[in-house]
Amino acid sequence: MKIKAIAFNTFKEALRDRVLYLILFFAAVCIIFSRLLALLTVGDPVKIIMDVGLASLSFFGALMAILMGAGLVFKEIDKKTIYTTLSKPIHRYQFLLGKFFGLVLTLFIMLLLMSLIFLVLIYFHTFKIEWEILIAILFIFLELCLITSVAMLFSCFSTPILSSLFTLSFYIIGHSVWGLEEILIQKIKPGIGKILVQIIYHILPDLENFNFKTEIVHHLSIPSTIFLYSTLYAIFYTLFILVLAMLVFRKRDFI
Amino acid sequence: MKKFSGEKGFSTLFLIFILILTCGIFMNLKIKTDMIPRKKIPGSSIIYIPSGKYLKFATFGNSSIMADLIYLWAIQYYSEYTIVDRYKYLDHIFSIISELDHRYLDPYELGAIIAAYEARDLDIALNILDRGLEKNPDQWIFPYEAGHYAAMLKKDYQLAREYYKKTMEIEGAPPIAKRLYADAAFKSMDFQTSWQTWLEIYETAEDERIKKIASNHLYQVKAGMDIHTIKEAMARFKEKYGHNPEDLPRLVKAGFLDSLPKDLDEKDYIYDSTTGEVKSPTIPWKR
Amino acid sequence: MTTVLTIKDLHKSFNIGFIPKKRKILKGISLSVEQGEIFGYLGPNGAGKTTTIKCILGLILPQKGKIEIFGNPHLALKAKEKIGFLPENPYFYDHLTASEFLDFYSQLYVMDKNKKEEKIKNLLQLVGLEQSAGLQLRKFSRGMMQRIGLAQALLNDPSLVFLDEPLGGLDPVGRKEIRDIIARLKEEGKTVFLCSHILQDIEMICDRVAIIVNGKIINQGALQDLISEKTHFTEVVFSGVDPREFESLAERLSDQSGRTLLKVFEEENVQKVLELIQSKKGKLHSLIPRTETLEDLFMEVVKQK
Repeated sequence: MKIKAIAFNTFKEALRDRVLYLILFFAAVCIIFSRLLALLTVGDPVKIIMDVGLASLSFFGALMAILMGAGLVFKEIDKKTIYTTLSKPIHRYQFLLGKFFGLVLTLFIMLLLMSLIFLVLIYFHTFKIEWEILIAILFIFLELCLITSVAMLFSCFSTPILSSLFTLSFYIIGHSVWGLEEILIQKIKPGIGKILVQIIYHILPDLENFNFKTEIVHHLSIPSTIFLYSTLYAIFYTLFILVLAMLVFRKRDFI
Repeated sequence: MKKFSGEKGFSTLFLIFILILTCGIFMNLKIKTDMIPRKKIPGSSIIYIPSGKYLKFATFGNSSIMADLIYLWAIQYYSEYTIVDRYKYLDHIFSIISELDHRYLDPYELGAIIAAYEARDLDIALNILDRGLEKNPDQWIFPYEAGHYAAMLKKDYQLAREYYKKTMEIEGAPPIAKRLYADAAFKSMDFQTSWQTWLEIYETAEDERIKKIASNHLYQVKAGMDIHTIKEAMARFKEKYGHNPEDLPRLVKAGFLDSLPKDLDEKDYIYDSTTGEVKSPTIPWKR
Repeated sequence: MTTVLTIKDLHKSFNIGFIPKKRKILKGISLSVEQGEIFGYLGPNGAGKTTTIKCILGLILPQKGKIEIFGNPHLALKAKEKIGFLPENPYFYDHLTASEFLDFYSQLYVMDKNKKEEKIKNLLQLVGLEQSAGLQLRKFSRGMMQRIGLAQALLNDPSLVFLDEPLGGLDPVGRKEIRDIIARLKEEGKTVFLCSHILQDIEMICDRVAIIVNGKIINQGALQDLISEKTHFTEVVFSGVDPREFESLAERLSDQSGRTLLKVFEEENVQKVLELIQSKKGKLHSLIPRTETLEDLFMEVVKQK
């Protein structure tokens, strides 16, 4: 399988990248730091550990996805490694998917490592494994997949710094798009303008769909249908971005 | 171009079709997820913030911005009436703000208002104001307001008197603080101090209005003192004879009083023998 | 002889700059490469050599034109399976070791697992890198990079190999080794498409050349043809005949110790000169046809432009 070969090469490249370990180190420090914060809180210490831990997981995961995703394709073009790779019997979309899955695999392993530290830390407080947390982490992972695909899309035609900025805006928009409905849509008079804003509202990514952190930490009940719909939403949005990336990538000249 | 497309994997048309398809699907899913109500806990996390002293380390020199943010958040949070137990960490949150930014004065005042009028917990209000004074010893407003809360809401005049005393001692405090102090002293039954203070106010007053106020209060304090003395004598009289005296001069005759006190205007106190009530002949602020 | 690569009327232009400005790089390239030959693609820097190769390999999509490899469209995977490519100044995934690198690329071909390991070992031996198999590519010198690049180009045992400046940046020993490998490829029946601006490389090993200047092929053909076509004059040295007899036929360059050096321009004049010497019983010392070298040809073509 050619996609697999590219993916594993990307994974290997990421593993031999020092930046990854730096981020991982800081993430671990943050998760362990939550233990320290818990000492100082008024109230439930486990809540603090969960909050800080999940926030670190999501934040550093997004950081990895953005920083590494933004250089994913650009680095290959910049270092000219893509010349030889694409001269092999491989379709361009296979190359792109390989790069994508390689980074997704990397993120998965990193998230797994961080979760392990995190779960162990919580275990020492509650003396039971909080399986529910894994649901929150799973959706963080889905969010990271989407962010990776977006970073890769931008990486197909722009420099890493620009791609990072674009992807960061995507991330910020995705986490604040719910405000559009509350603030704007309810106040606009019915008409073309309203329909336009509503269409934009539905096209823009809603990353809050993958945010179950609060509910999990507070042991609130979550309607199970939303898991299904959110998962499907992640899959189809990622697919959409990937196809877009393929369309951009197939027309590209590698000068 | 077209003749190459077949060799590059998928055709462009097919990819665009997939693009539109996935777009339609995820828009649908978005509508679906929007329809599922999700429980939100407004502002749920911030009450778990550790003490401000440690938070300050985490802000890397931006502690005042952090204080602003928490203050803004707190205003929103405490105007959210759906959170029933929102006052649980009131003192904690405002202590964080004060740790982050000592000189940020508004939060102390607002925190006290929220505590006093919304949470109806005067101890928290006074706590917040105490902290304000402790961090800002030059701000008379904190003990001044604390005095009000103590006097008007808590009716603890002893406490109010202490606060007003602190207010008086701070440079720039308004002169009314001294009058409030004298009044609180009166209300906490310390006639001696109250008399002394009102006398000082009377003697140092610069305009007639204040002089008049002071004189009225002096009248009131004297009346209070005198009525207190008379009532003591009456109590002993009743103990001995089993009933109230028929009139006040009888107290002197029976030896319970050296002489019958008169008010500041040399008038006699009014006595109702059936109820045993003693009143000043004039209402102090109508003199 | 079958044709392995045909290019017909290839056009490509790029939009360069912030405000796009069209710049034509290839202006109608047509050429064909026969099986088993070493084809030299010659041109000054910026003439469009690398662009042509990238078009063939599908890295750049041409605006117009047709490229066929073994009768298949050039973007078909079937075509790509039979070609190898060494880019100019190759740079590869430097986090991999030499053998990991070859292993990675071998996964992009359909290849037997047992054969694969042996193949990698053989290739490393061929390019003289068996000592450095476990070394990360980031520690490789430029020459080593060139060798590992050649190794990856030969991974699939290609029938057609594209080499872009394969001798660039190498020391004389290295150049000789790479040249030997190229010659060996020819012996094995492979076709080599060699791209260079260094004339000696091509002159020494190529069977046929095409010269590209400014996005157009100026001249192409067998090396001997291109050059012998351009035989300018013949030098004849003789003695024992009065040089003045030849004045109508040739230009006299020198008379030294009884020997005369003539510069003869026309082919039939050479014949006449020889006959005259023979009839006068003179002695012929040497007869050298002065053909142009590839360099002369190249310079002349470039100058014309």
